[in-house]
Amino acid sequence: MNASVEAVGLGKRYGKRWALKDCTLTIPSGRVVGLVGPNGAGKTTLMHLAVGLLAPSAGEITVLGDRPGSDPAVLERLGFLAQDSPTYARLTVRQHLQMGEWLNPRWDAEFAAGRIDALGLDPSQRAGTLSGGQRAQLALTLAVAKRPELLVLDEPVASLDPLARREFLQTLMEVVAVQGVSVVLSSHLIADLERVCDYVVVLVTGRVVLTGDVDELLASHHRITGPRRDPASLPSSQQVIEASHAERQSSFVVRTSEPILDPVWTVTPLTLDDLVLAYMRRDRDAVASTTTGLAVAR
Amino acid sequence: MTRFAWLQARTQSLAVGALLAALAITTAITGVQLAHLYHSLVVPCQTGCDLAQNDFLSHDAFLQDALVLLMRLAPGVIGIFWGAPLVTRELESGTFRLAWTQSVSRTRWVLTKLAVVGLTSVAVSGLLSLMVTWWFRAIDLVNLNQYGTFDMRDIAPIGYGAFAFAIGALLGAVIRRTLPAMAATLGAFVFARVAVTLWVRPNLLVPRHLSSSLGGAEQFGFMSRNGGTPELIAKGSAGPNSWTLSTHFVTSSGHVASASELKAFVHQYCPQIGPPPGGPPPGKSVVAPGIPEAFQNCRAAAGRTYHLVVTYIPAGRYWTLQWLELGVFLALAALALAGCFWWVTRRTN
Repeated sequence: MNASVEAVGLGKRYGKRWALKDCTLTIPSGRVVGLVGPNGAGKTTLMHLAVGLLAPSAGEITVLGDRPGSDPAVLERLGFLAQDSPTYARLTVRQHLQMGEWLNPRWDAEFAAGRIDALGLDPSQRAGTLSGGQRAQLALTLAVAKRPELLVLDEPVASLDPLARREFLQTLMEVVAVQGVSVVLSSHLIADLERVCDYVVVLVTGRVVLTGDVDELLASHHRITGPRRDPASLPSSQQVIEASHAERQSSFVVRTSEPILDPVWTVTPLTLDDLVLAYMRRDRDAVASTTTGLAVAR
Repeated sequence: MTRFAWLQARTQSLAVGALLAALAITTAITGVQLAHLYHSLVVPCQTGCDLAQNDFLSHDAFLQDALVLLMRLAPGVIGIFWGAPLVTRELESGTFRLAWTQSVSRTRWVLTKLAVVGLTSVAVSGLLSLMVTWWFRAIDLVNLNQYGTFDMRDIAPIGYGAFAFAIGALLGAVIRRTLPAMAATLGAFVFARVAVTLWVRPNLLVPRHLSSSLGGAEQFGFMSRNGGTPELIAKGSAGPNSWTLSTHFVTSSGHVASASELKAFVHQYCPQIGPPPGGPPPGKSVVAPGIPEAFQNCRAAAGRTYHLVVTYIPAGRYWTLQWLELGVFLALAALALAGCFWWVTRRTN
């Protein structure tokens, strides 16, 4: 598997605060990768490090085999859409495309013009007067028309209404199908990504807690419900991610590569949302117990 | 990148260009009229020309004031509205994340923006100074006080424009918020101008000294501060268009008299000269008026004891000083630009 982004012990510190600490991960290329994590997990910091907007305070990161920075040879292979889709409010849509053409050697003017046309945007309209959804579409067009090998999208749909969200992701899928570009997009809502991602990386407080192909993950995780049991009594091939107990009933989220044969269990499939949330909860609790230290140790 | 930097700066630059064009038309028309007046009022005058000169100088008083104000404000406006927002606005609106992920290095991005807007600032300052200098040329010929208008004529204002822009760009990059950066730019610019005017410019050239008798002084008399003992004062002149830095009373042995010695002199030789009856208005200084006998005697006594030494910059060094002033501000501008470049490429991570 070819890596589009590879980080080893990566960290970024602002003053005394670490926005991202000791992050080691591999993001495969040729996939649409969802980078998921709660707010403050370090997603934006990681993405800014990947496109060279930030320099790491510790560790290393390589993107498409290169160290990111302000080197044009690296930048031209990357397309980046920052959070809230920044555009120049006083420049028109046409002037934005002009900028793209002037500043990027691999610029695809035909694609860009066609995209704007298909979106029904008025080229002479100022970007400041566009709706949030239109602005996001314009910013996506700018990032894609660079003809990048890797497209990095930071919370691209977070501020969009449901309709604009759907349209944006639709555009993204069309682009991916046509150009075969690798994509990393982040969100704190897995529901946003479910429709488009085929690979997920879950980040909690700067650490990777889950990574893998979406179909494989869904095939290997189950929710099992049955009479109340101690998690330790489950077979060793079943790794318990989350356990919840009612008076007479237990419910577990387990990871296993083998079929679940015990007839006492009712096996229900998990959605990606459930799956990711189970990992996030587990890890948040793990972090909380290490930080409160011995007081809770038994 | 140059085309894009120009695209961003175009609207404001063209608006300022239109203002300059309007100003050019105004100054051209009134400037020709002024030249005509100069040739009909001042040039034919042979003796006792004060009246003719004052008549001439009173023309276009409003435009004179307006142009002086414009020359004072222009560099500050350039620094505040072109320098400070140059980097800050991109940082504040988040568009730097768009700009810095195009296929252009950050080095080239910042250098191009600084060059395009910086050169526009220099061009605007230069054109403005050119128009103002041209418009005032007849008035300056009458006033013969070229050092008095030193910072509003010729090439020095180009340095002010360049420096104001550069310090604005630096403070914008460091402070990262537009309004505080604008305020800091104004403060830094005004401070630099005042500091150079007061402490640097008088020391840029080695001044000359000129000795003259008290009778040849431009002004000579007695001054009493807040009703105290009167003191001898004089203002020497080293001729038209020169810059008098200081005037001292010097004895025949070469000793420079101090203020207290000048008071003691009045006390000893001119006891009749005291504060005016009822004392001067509080806080004001009064130069003894009239020429009563006591005053004449005292003048004569002072003339026997002291002569004047005037320290001055000669009229002929005007252009040398203009170049030096330009050099000082261009050097400061270069430092600020280097700082801005360093900050954006190294520190903004």
